[in-house]
Amino acid sequence: MLMSSKSAEKSPIYYLFNPRSIAVIGASRDPKKIGYQILKNIIEYGFKGKVYPVNPKADEILGLKCYKSILDIPDEVDVAVISIPAQYVLPVVEECGKKGVKALIVISSGFGEVGNVELERKLVETARKYGMRILGPNIFGLYYGPARLNATFGPKEVIPGNIAFVSQSGALGIALMGWTIAKGVALSAVVSMGNKADIDDADVLEYFETDPNTKVILIYMEGIRPGLGRRFVEVARRVSKKKPIIVIKAGRTERGAAAAASHTGALAGADAIYNAAFKQAGVLRAIGFEEAFDWAKALSMLPPPKGENAVIITNGGGAGVMATDAAVECGIRLMEMPPDLQERFRKYMPPFGSPKNPIDLTGQASEEAYKGALLEAFNEPRIHSIILLYCQTAITDPEVLADKIIEAWNEAKERKPMVVSFIGGIECDRAMAKLDKAGIPAYPSPERAVSALSAVYKWARWAGYVKE
Amino acid sequence: MISKSLQVIERAKAEGRKILVFTEVFEILKHYGIPVAETHIARSVDEAIEYAKRIGFPVVLKIVSPDIVHKFDVGGVVIGIQSEEELVKAYESILENIKVKAPKARIWGIAVQEMVTKGHEVFIGGMEDSVFGPVVLFGLGGIFVEVLRDISFRLAPITKNEALEMITELKGATILKGYRGGEEVNLEVLADVIARCSQMISDLEHYIKELDLNPVKTYADKCKVVDARAVLT
Repeated sequence: MLMSSKSAEKSPIYYLFNPRSIAVIGASRDPKKIGYQILKNIIEYGFKGKVYPVNPKADEILGLKCYKSILDIPDEVDVAVISIPAQYVLPVVEECGKKGVKALIVISSGFGEVGNVELERKLVETARKYGMRILGPNIFGLYYGPARLNATFGPKEVIPGNIAFVSQSGALGIALMGWTIAKGVALSAVVSMGNKADIDDADVLEYFETDPNTKVILIYMEGIRPGLGRRFVEVARRVSKKKPIIVIKAGRTERGAAAAASHTGALAGADAIYNAAFKQAGVLRAIGFEEAFDWAKALSMLPPPKGENAVIITNGGGAGVMATDAAVECGIRLMEMPPDLQERFRKYMPPFGSPKNPIDLTGQASEEAYKGALLEAFNEPRIHSIILLYCQTAITDPEVLADKIIEAWNEAKERKPMVVSFIGGIECDRAMAKLDKAGIPAYPSPERAVSALSAVYKWARWAGYVKE
Repeated sequence: MISKSLQVIERAKAEGRKILVFTEVFEILKHYGIPVAETHIARSVDEAIEYAKRIGFPVVLKIVSPDIVHKFDVGGVVIGIQSEEELVKAYESILENIKVKAPKARIWGIAVQEMVTKGHEVFIGGMEDSVFGPVVLFGLGGIFVEVLRDISFRLAPITKNEALEMITELKGATILKGYRGGEEVNLEVLADVIARCSQMISDLEHYIKELDLNPVKTYADKCKVVDARAVLT
């Protein structure tokens, strides 16, 4: 009794992410069917709760007892994944309602996206009648790391982490799940939004707002439904003060026909309005997914800076110049080095090095020189953030250097935001993977490293960690 | 502010109109403390002379008709009127032009307006977006808006500080700061007007679909709306 009264306070969306039991309606024995892949992913990813396949034509699927109808399941069901043809979905939703299901993951396609708006509306209406919430329809599912829940027909080996990825696109979303695995990006959640018939971006933002497992939220969106823009901005504005929100916005909204007719209206591109809305909501807008995940990586790993003074430490003049240009262009303020600091950095370079900013340790720099210079930067309160660059040379070993950087990171009196870029061969890739693993975001080019740090700054300014 | 503004809108709607003429928009702007060029509607040439004397020459005459949106196109505007004689001539020529080019137009009168010279021309706009609702727009006049599309947007309403940001994010913002000996605009005053305008757009959501304050003249110490237009929902 105590359990149920306590759980009554939790919202359907809480159960969506943290179900105690899950039914897969349309579970299949055929490995080519989505209903098979989802069930398999749920089981193999190690979901801790109970799993109930539902299929009137099977007795057992993947070693689990199969039920003819959700109403036959002799237990409470928190979430139902529905993967059956669109025309059969509505009666099943009705049954789920009667069963007391709290949230539905409707995988099925064939609704609003093909003009079947009326059926989609009825779906939501029926769910509402029973107090259920719907994710979808027309989606690839939901992954939530903390619950060991992979109810998707995407890749299975998602790396658990603290970036929540929300995607309106299906195919791109699945592809990016695979991409994150290949790139070592660790995720707390993958939410496929599809038609957003009921649950929309603002709803999931509200869940992640208080989710201790999520540090950064990354949304791929093609549009917000008419009339819901204000709510998105209001929620995002609140959430973004606590956690960074990155949005990739593709495509364009429909605009009122009349608005286009007039002078001002014709000038008002819908995309410019999205831009304005994101700005007012404190949302960081990324152009592509590489940039978005670059930013997400830095924002999920690094503490916010305490001030605007950034320094570049490099062993190559060219890389330093490129990083300087990139930093200036994206609003990172490079510190004017005071003479006493210049003196201190001189210790780690030959006479022809430069202790100004960029701090050029020169091509002769050893792994130890890097570590020494880094520790100076970490322990100097006037320096607030670091861009560390390395051009591969024969006199240094990238992996040894990575170890030295990690040592400095761990020996430093305080953690400061630092981005790293190693430029060179395959050894550099291995070294950067090591850095990523240690929680130091590393990138294959100075521009990408600088861009990631600039995202950290933009968010820190918005959230009030650094005064503009 | 809202109820008084709605009176103006309801009156137009009762007449089956979708467009507010500039003098009606001015009425609403005044409720929001947005400064407009001094304007009086004259019903006769004698009245026009009287208003012109009160304002002081030079003045501008503009046709006031609910049926005429583009006043210039029908010869409904004469600017730079320096004397009583010129005023009488201009008054009659406007009536002549309308007779020929818009014979069916209802004429409410001819507005006598102070001639606002110099200053930088900017525009402030409003529109209703289907996703985000009321939006405020700001840009510099002329080629900046028409060719370079240098416009900034915000969801309305906004604070004065947000309005300042809107101004400074324009590529052409330097021009307002007195480029090549031009007058330096008081950005605080301009931002205040944009913020007030955004409040008005937000309050009148569902009533006004588009608003166009163009031109708005800006100076070192003040800013004045010279012409305006609003499309009702």
